[in-house]
Amino acid sequence: MLKKLREKFVVTPWMIWLGIMGLILLAGLIAGILVFWKGLVITNLTDLVPWGLWITIDLSSIALGAGAFSLCAGVYLFGLKRYQPIARTATFVGLIGYTMATLALILDIGKPERFWHSMVYWNVHSLLWEVTMCVILYLTVLVLEAMPIIANLEWLRKHFPKITGMMSRVHHYAPILAIIGLGLSSLHQSSLGATYGVIKARPFWFKPEMSVLFMFSAIVGGISLTLFASMLSARLTNKAKINDALIERVAHFVGYLLIGYFYFRAWDALSQTYAYDPGRSEGLHFLTKGPMAFNFWIGEMLLGMIVPMILLLYKPTRMNRFWRMTALLLVAGGVVAFRWDTNITGQLVLMSYVPGAAITYTSYVPSLIEILAGSAIIAYGLTAFSLGVKYLRVVDHSLVEEEHEKVHVKVTEPVRI
Amino acid sequence: MTKQNINRREFIKLSAVGVAVIAGARAITQTKASSDAPKGERQWAMVIDQSKCTGCNYCTLACQAHNDVNPDIQWNKVAQDGMVGDQQVFVPRPCMHCEKAPCVEVCPVKASYYRDDGIVMMDYDRCIGCRYCQIACPYDARSFNWEKFTGANPAVPEWGTPEVDRRPRGVPEKCSFCYQTIDRGLSLGLKPGVDPDATPACVNVCPTGARIFGDLNDPESNVSKLLHEKYTYRLRENLGTGPRVYYIPAVADAKREA
Repeated sequence: MLKKLREKFVVTPWMIWLGIMGLILLAGLIAGILVFWKGLVITNLTDLVPWGLWITIDLSSIALGAGAFSLCAGVYLFGLKRYQPIARTATFVGLIGYTMATLALILDIGKPERFWHSMVYWNVHSLLWEVTMCVILYLTVLVLEAMPIIANLEWLRKHFPKITGMMSRVHHYAPILAIIGLGLSSLHQSSLGATYGVIKARPFWFKPEMSVLFMFSAIVGGISLTLFASMLSARLTNKAKINDALIERVAHFVGYLLIGYFYFRAWDALSQTYAYDPGRSEGLHFLTKGPMAFNFWIGEMLLGMIVPMILLLYKPTRMNRFWRMTALLLVAGGVVAFRWDTNITGQLVLMSYVPGAAITYTSYVPSLIEILAGSAIIAYGLTAFSLGVKYLRVVDHSLVEEEHEKVHVKVTEPVRI
Repeated sequence: MTKQNINRREFIKLSAVGVAVIAGARAITQTKASSDAPKGERQWAMVIDQSKCTGCNYCTLACQAHNDVNPDIQWNKVAQDGMVGDQQVFVPRPCMHCEKAPCVEVCPVKASYYRDDGIVMMDYDRCIGCRYCQIACPYDARSFNWEKFTGANPAVPEWGTPEVDRRPRGVPEKCSFCYQTIDRGLSLGLKPGVDPDATPACVNVCPTGARIFGDLNDPESNVSKLLHEKYTYRLRENLGTGPRVYYIPAVADAKREA
């Protein structure tokens, strides 16, 4: 009897994975309920540091979801059709990233039940309003773009073939969706930088290149994460099938992009070293020589840009799957480090309104509740992606191209008649 | 013939698009204009004389009582400045009610807005609690309600009685120049800055008369006269926010007499 049971419930790595994720999600769910119940007082956020870990998760998941718009634009607008399977994965990663960001925001705002106010009460002057609107609209685009992927669900196909047929046909509008996606993403990815860049009260943030840095780092990080996730899935399960040559070529491109990102980031930091500017100079010192120095030099510069740049541009390491994966993961990590450093440094350096007062510093360490809820948001993303790989063939470079052609033919004919 | 038709149709389409673009652009510029501070008949302002302020914190307490503020939060904060001679100098700081208020510009839902008398107001029922205004305010004038303020207000009744509702949990709050007192006073025919019943609580309570309140548009108001007679400065003036709170700096006694 026991033997039979044991045979039925073999503990597979997949189950262990789901179990661990389930535990993190459960802990995060409890943390989230506590936040809604007791309020944000149980976080370590203060009036001096009102934006903390959750905002960083929000910024990072939007940034790392940027592979969707960049690759879709490449495939459907610039005619790089052979990369379509990677764009498909990127779309799914984007969908997950943006829902993660939405979750983080709902947790972070003081009045989550009023989230819809930004859709009704417009302040076109506010960068945050623009970001919110774009994210909502772009999330809609992502849902539409992901329709053909979700239509791959076996159960749905069996029981509702008509619906899945309709969902697959959305693919026909991919170029239009790619144009809308490119527009909305360009707007909000750079506006997220401008959200900080327009704050004159904090000189460390107040600079136009914030938008450029956020946009550029999002494209680099977003593509990298999609490639890494595809490669990792292919290593772990035979449900994921990748065309390594495709990934290698895009990874090579990421290597070149990194040169551009490195140039912008280094120039941004270097240009601030000239002349003393109250607040800004202290911020730069805090970032490069103070408590953030490790994050900046090691996390952002060395591991986030220089090492992966070499690994991806040097052919032998790029061809080696392990090194390529390492490089891609490092790029994504570097982008997260950039978001964290930027958000935190600008708040920890305090400029007083008292005339002639010295600049002071504060500190911020996320509370356990923030960490638990934040981890659960990340765990949600990982779980959703792994489910997608297993049940929706999210990473499948062999199958999609054919289906795309089939759908294409089917749809164009009736439309013309 | 058909070709001409198509051309005409295209022309109409094009002009329709053109009109739409112009209308859209107009709509955007108009909203932009309307988000600047509207100028009403009266423009409230405050002058704080640092040579008179003794740092007694009465303004903080009166404000907490009249506006029913959580004791953890100070709408009126009295910070220490440097020394003049052997005298400690203070910087009492209400909300600056900026002419170009960063908090109003960044609020995603227009929960922070300008009244036409220059007061920067908060719509606590509309605010979503994103705290962007706190990030943007150069004066730390905003405090977030991290938890609900329950229980008795320790400043009541010694320093006054509440005149407004408590703010809910999850929104930032700030000084409102006691708009409730101003509005009520005006409706009774009183003059804010002159009649205590129409004047902000911090101005009324100040034992040394370091705070002066009045209408910038009225050349006869105490505020206008002081601004005309004395040297004043504003906090972080280089940011271009145009604060409506002016400071008369404390100077050494010998200098003042000279």
